[in-house]
Amino acid sequence: MSGRARVKARGRARSPSPADAPSVPSSSLPTSVDISASEASSTGDFAGTSRISQTRKYGVSPGDARCPFIQRSGKSRRDFTDLDVCTREKLAHVRDCKTGSSGVPVKLVTNLFNLDLPQDWQLYQYHVTYVPDLESRRLRIALLYNHRELSNKAKAFDGVILFLTQKLEEKVTELSSETHRGGTVKMTITLTRELPASSSVCIQVFNIIFKKIFKKLAMYQIGRNFYKPSEPVEIPQHKLSLWPGFAISVSQFESRLLFTADVSYKILRNETVLEFMTDLRQETTMSCFTQTCEKRLLGLIVLTRYNNKTYRIDDIDWSVKPTHTFQKQDGTEITYVDYYKQQYDITLSDLNQPVLVSLLKTKRNDNTEPRVAHLIPELCFLTGLTCQATSDFRLMKAVAEETRLSPLGRQQRLARLADDIQRNKDARFELETWGLHFGCQVSLTGRVLPSEKILMQDHVCQPASAADWSKDMRNCKILSAQSLNKWLILCSNRAEYVTENFLHCLRRVGSSMGFNVDYPKIIKAQEDPAAFFSAVQKHVNPDVQLVMCILPSNQKNYYDTIKNYLNSFCPVPSQCVLTRTLNKQGMMMSVATKIAMQMACKLGGELWAVEIPLKSLMVVGIDACKDEVSKGMVVVGFVASINPGITRWFSRCILQRTATDVADCLKVFMTGALNKWYKHNHGLPARIIVYRNGVGDGQLKTLIEYEVPQLLSSVTEASANTSSKLSVIVVRKKCTLRFCMEMSRSLQNPPLGTVVDSEATRPDWYDFYLISQAACRGTVNPTYYNVIYDDNGLKPDHMQRLTFKLCHLYYNWPGLISIPAPCQYAHKLTFLVAQSIHKEPSLELANSLFYL
Amino acid sequence: MEKNSMEEFQRSTVPRKNVIEFRPPLYKQRYFFVKDIVNQYKPKKVADLGCGNATLLCMLKFHSCVQELVGVDLLMDRLLDWNSDKLSPSIGDHLGPRDLDLSIVLYRGSAVEKDSRLLGFDLITCIELIEHLDSEDLAKFPEVVFGYFSPGMVVISTPNSDFNPLFPASTFRNSDHKFEWNQTQFQHWASNVAKLYSYTVEFTGVGAPPPWAKHVGYCTQIGIFKKKQPDPGSWILAKPTGSRVSEPEEHAYQVVFTASFPSLQQKHFLLFVLCTEVLKEVEAIRQKYVWIMKRKESSEPESEEDTDSGLVRRPGLFLTDAQVAQIEKSPKPYSVGKRFYVPLKRLIGYPKVNRLVADVSTLRTLLAEGIPMRLNRAHTSVQIDLDPYDYPHDYR
Repeated sequence: MSGRARVKARGRARSPSPADAPSVPSSSLPTSVDISASEASSTGDFAGTSRISQTRKYGVSPGDARCPFIQRSGKSRRDFTDLDVCTREKLAHVRDCKTGSSGVPVKLVTNLFNLDLPQDWQLYQYHVTYVPDLESRRLRIALLYNHRELSNKAKAFDGVILFLTQKLEEKVTELSSETHRGGTVKMTITLTRELPASSSVCIQVFNIIFKKIFKKLAMYQIGRNFYKPSEPVEIPQHKLSLWPGFAISVSQFESRLLFTADVSYKILRNETVLEFMTDLRQETTMSCFTQTCEKRLLGLIVLTRYNNKTYRIDDIDWSVKPTHTFQKQDGTEITYVDYYKQQYDITLSDLNQPVLVSLLKTKRNDNTEPRVAHLIPELCFLTGLTCQATSDFRLMKAVAEETRLSPLGRQQRLARLADDIQRNKDARFELETWGLHFGCQVSLTGRVLPSEKILMQDHVCQPASAADWSKDMRNCKILSAQSLNKWLILCSNRAEYVTENFLHCLRRVGSSMGFNVDYPKIIKAQEDPAAFFSAVQKHVNPDVQLVMCILPSNQKNYYDTIKNYLNSFCPVPSQCVLTRTLNKQGMMMSVATKIAMQMACKLGGELWAVEIPLKSLMVVGIDACKDEVSKGMVVVGFVASINPGITRWFSRCILQRTATDVADCLKVFMTGALNKWYKHNHGLPARIIVYRNGVGDGQLKTLIEYEVPQLLSSVTEASANTSSKLSVIVVRKKCTLRFCMEMSRSLQNPPLGTVVDSEATRPDWYDFYLISQAACRGTVNPTYYNVIYDDNGLKPDHMQRLTFKLCHLYYNWPGLISIPAPCQYAHKLTFLVAQSIHKEPSLELANSLFYL
Repeated sequence: MEKNSMEEFQRSTVPRKNVIEFRPPLYKQRYFFVKDIVNQYKPKKVADLGCGNATLLCMLKFHSCVQELVGVDLLMDRLLDWNSDKLSPSIGDHLGPRDLDLSIVLYRGSAVEKDSRLLGFDLITCIELIEHLDSEDLAKFPEVVFGYFSPGMVVISTPNSDFNPLFPASTFRNSDHKFEWNQTQFQHWASNVAKLYSYTVEFTGVGAPPPWAKHVGYCTQIGIFKKKQPDPGSWILAKPTGSRVSEPEEHAYQVVFTASFPSLQQKHFLLFVLCTEVLKEVEAIRQKYVWIMKRKESSEPESEEDTDSGLVRRPGLFLTDAQVAQIEKSPKPYSVGKRFYVPLKRLIGYPKVNRLVADVSTLRTLLAEGIPMRLNRAHTSVQIDLDPYDYPHDYR
């Protein structure tokens, strides 16, 4: 009997149930024989089982295997490739120093921890072979681990590659071991590499060690995070459970190896698909029940309670009932009811429920028909929050109340975690054997940038709080505004009175801010989306400057149909307001002020400015997101400033069919923006700074190789002689780093304008953190900036300050925001298109902020 | 122990002539055999000796009657890390806790070593284990399992060598097998053991022979041993007897894995499940109430739906007529202003609530602890907003 056959037999035995959910072959395929499918589910400290066979199949010699340990989740793997991208070495002006100097130093506490290693610490990578060859990973590992030569050494072994912290005496070590069956196996352990602590392989090993430690602390791993199921926060009224936990990682920061831990919550829903369906059944009539059900459920991810697997609902088969039979993989027929009773001792209560259909992903890229799994709604938990749930104000409030931690609360959690790691015997032992020491929390020095003055038409104001200067600019005139002469208001009959009232306020606040609002034509319509839409169709013509719709409810189809029509078919700026908003007592003036400003912007007006020292600078914001309706489409938004004061914008948006969020059309956009700039300024901008938002993990390389060249080529083609200098900065709102300021024995969020450009940054990148938004509750999330391309050669100090200035220029909010205004405009634009329009907005609107 | 050997594989590779193939595969049939035994006898404490990679335990953990699962194997090392996830409570186990506690413990140890932690079990299984024991260990085995552990029931399976001639290969089915017994040999050994330790034994098996070779018997032969009770004919769950408890503790096995599952026996989980179920129920009742109210407003002709049972019956709620009648008799839900109330006395009638708590006073106490804000002042009803979506909205 060959060893291979033995393994195969065992492999089958290991997974007794071929598919934990009864899987049936899709109709066109008579039988399916994919036995190994469920095997991939085995989770491990190292690579999944499949890894070994792969290594063998391709005969990879371990010495040149770049990442011998491949993590189960693709994400972390991609992360490593991001960190492998070294952009700083190409940027001569920051090669030696990338830190700024202006501002007031501030001492900050981080959520980073020192990981101390002995100075000469190294990891030794060995390759292990067996004679006779053993296919069983289990046996390979068992023999190696139990060998006395290695038994008390720190080691990590996946069956082929062995890591040790202590070098073996010989380069090649021969060991022999007896199996419990009496056979002798010879193991040859060959040194292939010596790795310094900063190498990416070491960092993977460290991450594996911490994974192990967190399991020892009774934490449950979901994705890359670890949660404590023993201390859940429950919100029964919303059928939710929150598991507190941490997102953790070990990585190489500016000068040291550091451990990051950020408090995270896992939101679990205590609601089965069956319960969801019966609730829905009660809300809707039978005729549209199936349709509504499918609309709400398809595409959702469910968790089966018995085997802890997740599936996507691809279809609902209403013709199949739990009492029907299906064919098991061994060919026998069984009813769903009996199957679940037999397999899981579960008694189904509803014998009339339909089955959910999920297409199973096939690992192999062969042409076999996709298999489908039938799932019983009663046994499937819903996961994640639907957009309906996230729009439920009460639910979100309840979640936020539980999860929003103050800086102090967060610090207490971290302190407890550090304490747990240091006190737990097993955890400490694990660290010690590897020579690691879990050190103290890292403090560092940041700088608070000077605050900015806000320039109005005839007034310069120094806001009392940069978070919100709406009070400071009361009675100030905005920079410029087109007079609004020919416009429409569309409202329902019932809303006539409030509309008149509101119009009065609007005209008053308009005149005080220098925005002349004439009396509009008021059109009344039935309270019905179709009636509103036909009124828009009937009365709006291209001469109309703006249409205001007073919507009776926030039903999505009112908004979507109107926006769709007015953004692409008949391009006219539009402003939608809910009747409910206008009914708020005592709020009318502030509501009117905000709406007046939005309207002024939609007509191409400018509200305020900040001082920009660079005289000929174009700033660009790019964002990308997936379309809500057609899933394969990505919406890319591009917003560029077209005057030196950075108050006027050119906005483009396109839908492209790609799998990734990488933009295709940047050359066209950039050329368009440069043409606009040329028309307005009779020359090209000396400098262009692009802020790119919406970049996922692992896309950095693609960005550099694909997007930057598009931008560069349009810039160089724009002018024969001296072309504009280009910089590209990747903006990330989500990062796991947190900074807090110690203040009278407590912790607080750092002041607005705090920059961190040392220690918590990466050695190979020109990067910095900037806190530009205020968080009144909870802990502020710093925004991370990574300059991946920089011809401008601005000093880091200037780059940081310019970025901070740009965070003041978002006209929808009189205050600082978390990202530069062009990014936020691009985001707002892509959001509108992805959620409501699903079409490219008309070019005629490109010169105004029509999407505010 | 390496069981589930290559027999199935072998069988599927032999020439088509006289192919003997088991569907489902034999190792699965053995496991399902044990599952059937568990279903039939509902043991509380089950141990699997020679549990290998704990596949059988993974299957048995789903049985609601089982409260203690133990696996013992010689080769139980850090490799277990890979399988341990399957034996640990998952998200589903937390969201929908079991009714009864369940703990799982894995030991590294041998089936011929005594360990007092295996005393008092209801069922001990030794699936394809004994044929791996050498003669010395085989001699010790009955004394340890039957004499010392002395569970209520023992299930032993082993290959039947009478069946072997039907296979092309003439050797043992697995290279580690020390022997393979024919039916007579196994039954002789088993009967002696049973006699010696006061057990009854019956023989069966899985993997029926083909019709043309009926005489060879099952491919895997199985002996089911039941401890003789003072009252014959009744099979009683084994209880650790006084004499056993006073015996000195022997801990020859090494614990390599433990897991404890959330269950409704733990108050924290009971509270969570109860509060969730009650609020789900109240929400459903509210929806129905509002729906009926609206129909009355629109003055549609009264239909049977508007009667009280219309308020009780809803899609997805399975009630017997008796349960409906019971609920109809209890105090009705009502609304005052913008609040909606469901009396606890009514809630207790719903099976999903009643399953968790038996009486109103327990329900009241638990709800007062879990969702105090949802009880009315007198603690007689659960209260929620009549229209939960009636709150101010921000404009876009």
